Amino acid sequence: MLNIEAYLRPTTLTQAVSLLAEDGRTIIAGGTDLLVNPRYMVGVREVIDIRSLGLDYIREEQGWLHIGAGTTMRTVARHPRIQALAGGIVARGAAVCGSPNIRNMATLVGNVASALPSADTPPALLALDAHAVLTSLQGERIVPLESFFVGPAKSILDRELIREIRIPLESFDSLRGGYYKIGRTSEDISMVNAAATLTVKNSTITAARLVLGAVAPTPLRVKIVEEALIGQVATEEAIQQAAELVSAEVRPISDQRASADYRRRMSKVAAVRALRQAAGLVQPGEEWHHA
Amino acid sequence: MPEIEIHLRVNRREATWRVQPGETLLEALHAHHLKGTKLICGTGDCCGCGVLLDGRSINSCCMLAAQAGGCDVLTIEGLAQEGNLHPIQEAFAEEGAAQCGYCTPGFIMRAYAFLQEQPHPSEDEVRAALAGNICRCTGYVKPVAAVLKAATLMEEATS
Repeated sequence: MLNIEAYLRPTTLTQAVSLLAEDGRTIIAGGTDLLVNPRYMVGVREVIDIRSLGLDYIREEQGWLHIGAGTTMRTVARHPRIQALAGGIVARGAAVCGSPNIRNMATLVGNVASALPSADTPPALLALDAHAVLTSLQGERIVPLESFFVGPAKSILDRELIREIRIPLESFDSLRGGYYKIGRTSEDISMVNAAATLTVKNSTITAARLVLGAVAPTPLRVKIVEEALIGQVATEEAIQQAAELVSAEVRPISDQRASADYRRRMSKVAAVRALRQAAGLVQPGEEWHHA
Repeated sequence: MPEIEIHLRVNRREATWRVQPGETLLEALHAHHLKGTKLICGTGDCCGCGVLLDGRSINSCCMLAAQAGGCDVLTIEGLAQEGNLHPIQEAFAEEGAAQCGYCTPGFIMRAYAFLQEQPHPSEDEVRAALAGNICRCTGYVKPVAAVLKAATLMEEATS
């Protein structure tokens, strides 16, 4: 039995944000992080279930893909449009988030809101420059995910709920992506994960994003590697050389899953494998996650 | 603590339950004498408490009972019909796919949800489908064989 004094189930977004304006309340959707990780329940007396707000949607509008706060990992992992976006990196992150039972409840937005450094989907979302739409009693603000994460389980959320995640679609035709997870099994929490996107024109890299998970207090965009790649011909050598720069950027911890040293070494491995996919250099048989 | 009244379907019957705000679905099942669903890890890591919620397999330890209001819940007790075991249960028994048996209800409910979606699975698909269900006694060879056998039994039953 959890120490929760009231369960609130608003049916409109306006009701939900009014409820959230009071002290001691938090949002629940899938509940798979909230109910098992005591850090999210500190100071919480009442929960607001947002699953009756009509936020279970994925739609394309005005150059953006919109993923609502009620959309489960299962739905994201199986969605044809998301599977087709930049090598399907968001779908693939969702597909390795926990077990099938977890993916049937857990939401993509919840994975972002929990703000865990090891989360499976934020690196892919960051590699696609996704934005979050934050709603409160005061109104809405749209923030790039890059400025969302503050530290382990800490974000900029301030009595706000994430109504949806938006992914810009403008560059998708030219954008290619890669995703690689290193974990004990693909269901387990990542020891290291990596997502990459590249734009390659006439075999030269014109834009790059590389984001690593579980190797710093927040998902880590490795700009020094991105800069090293731009202007290069997309070859194995260029990727290997640029990825050398990863190990000086990461700030991993040691825990029961892996030592800091192992995470540091694997950061480069994950980065290379994600970039290799994005560059279309994957060898036949090279898996996209490692168990 | 104010109780909440929820209306739901449990094993094909309408039910009205009074639950606490902090009660998990698993705790509510146990409070209503449905004890086949097991508490093992309690943190969503082992799928031992698996049940079906609106046709999808979920972990009942990490959702609130109140969240099940309006939903259709199917537990291990709801599989046997008129005293006959479900083909998945039969297959688990025939293959000896249980040792201590504690994880078995979770395996069977996960297999049930999976076989509804994929009635003719390959062994690899079965392994992927069961990947979150953890057994600490005997392993996975027999449960995988049981699910493959169940698929055959279920096809025979419908043909």
